[in-house]
Amino acid sequence: MIVLDSVSKRYGAKTIIHDVSFTVNKDEIVGFLGPNGAGKTTTLRMIAGFTTATSGTVEVAGYDMATENYEAARHIGYLPEIPPLYDTLDVSSYLRFVAKAKGIPRNEIDGELERVTAACRLEAVYRREVFKLSKGYRQRTGLAQALLGKPDVLLLDEPTIGLDPGQILETREVIRSFGSSHTVLLSTHILPEVTLICQRVAIINNGRLLAIDTPRGLQDAVEKTNIVSLQTKAPEAPLREELLSVEGVEALDIAPVRGTEDGLLAVTCTVDPRDGVESAIARAVAKRWDLYRLERQEPTLENIFLHYVQGQKVQAAA
Amino acid sequence: MSGVLALYEKEIRHYFRSPIAYYVVAVFLIGTGYFYTYNVFLSNTATMDATFQNMGILLTVVAPAISMRLFAGEWSGRTMELLATLPLRPWEVVFGKFLGAVTMLLLMTAGTMINLIPMYLFAEPETTTIISGYIGFILMGMACLALGQFFSVLTQNQIVAALITVAVLLAFWFVGNLQNFQTSYLLWNLTGYLSFSAHFAEFIQGLVSSKGVMFYLVICGIALTLNAGYLQWRR
Repeated sequence: MIVLDSVSKRYGAKTIIHDVSFTVNKDEIVGFLGPNGAGKTTTLRMIAGFTTATSGTVEVAGYDMATENYEAARHIGYLPEIPPLYDTLDVSSYLRFVAKAKGIPRNEIDGELERVTAACRLEAVYRREVFKLSKGYRQRTGLAQALLGKPDVLLLDEPTIGLDPGQILETREVIRSFGSSHTVLLSTHILPEVTLICQRVAIINNGRLLAIDTPRGLQDAVEKTNIVSLQTKAPEAPLREELLSVEGVEALDIAPVRGTEDGLLAVTCTVDPRDGVESAIARAVAKRWDLYRLERQEPTLENIFLHYVQGQKVQAAA
Repeated sequence: MSGVLALYEKEIRHYFRSPIAYYVVAVFLIGTGYFYTYNVFLSNTATMDATFQNMGILLTVVAPAISMRLFAGEWSGRTMELLATLPLRPWEVVFGKFLGAVTMLLLMTAGTMINLIPMYLFAEPETTTIISGYIGFILMGMACLALGQFFSVLTQNQIVAALITVAVLLAFWFVGNLQNFQTSYLLWNLTGYLSFSAHFAEFIQGLVSSKGVMFYLVICGIALTLNAGYLQWRR
């Protein structure tokens, strides 16, 4: 549905997007993850047809966005970073304008307005002028215009920004249900959001695509973390000696568990990245003392994100 | 064409909900009323000639106030991103907006016709001259709006758009005055041909010539084409 092939974007001498290629399939929700200024908005703008790529091709629904953006626009719903609203219009007039501009047949417009108003919970402000709306309602009105006409491809730039927690959950539900039968590409820097609603995640930084995979795939691709934490009841000095004798353990931090007075210790071991170090630690502790808890931390999305972003910085420095 | 209509309706809705539009129309009608009273009642002549002349100058200030928002407002309000990604071709956006602005011009012009009531009640004015004057005024107004709309697309600051447009329209209005300084026949002809006031003067005198009509329509065509071309180029 969306195909980017070696896409670059330059403004003057400055290159904003470097040779980005990826594909978003039909009925798939893909999250576009990156820090501020990473190039998410520029990439979405090229996909939406607001601007063209300097080199490479962007294809949406089979149309080349450089030459056939008018035809492609009929298949795209786009919510920019700042919702594009007309303050002097009321919500209903605004949505009616967008519906007409999208070429929705006149006899279907009322039904469409009803559908998106219900989906985005805009009933309470349907007749209110846009300039009187709260930030949350402005965002939802922007989302409603993007949903008009049931576009094949939905592009959302930070769709939950400015919403309260309840509205965020509702909006995610709208996106998830829409994405079950449509293609959705959403940009965000809220990490949990992508794991909650996206089937795949693309990580972008400094205009370069660093990775694109399922959240699970990204976790697997990143080496396990080098932290093993455990709780045990043992005298501190022999415990330290025992743990440091285990091959692969590099450093230790031992502290009593707060709120307990029966000698329970929390140990954080820094280990080398190999598999199996945690099993060796478990055996070493369990053969002499009671082991209450032991885990090797799984890489979180934050770890994965930092792994890629910081990895890029290291490469750049080298 | 449905895109043009959608945009036209949105523009009209915007004008009627915007205090600036009411203010601009009020200023124009009060100004026209003042000139009319001065020209007709104080000089005791039942013609619209001098009033049309004054309306023309007034238009060089009023038209930019209408046109300045057309695109500058879209850029600054970040709504250009919506217009550019809807299934609307650049010429549809340009034409829809232009039609909206021309509708405001027609409403303003219709408002000035109230002045004709006492004229027809107390004298016998020349109807054909008045009609030709109004045709000239509307054509010149269209050219002013098309130019203003073009300058509005170049900036996101409405004040800048209005100031550039006023300067350009005044230049077009007064360029005919440079005719007497030209020694070259080409420049003499060109300054005369580009003069808004010279063409308008013919309409005021009752002469609806194809040359005059075409002049204003060509100005509209060039400005609107440049406008649509600029939108395409900005992508």
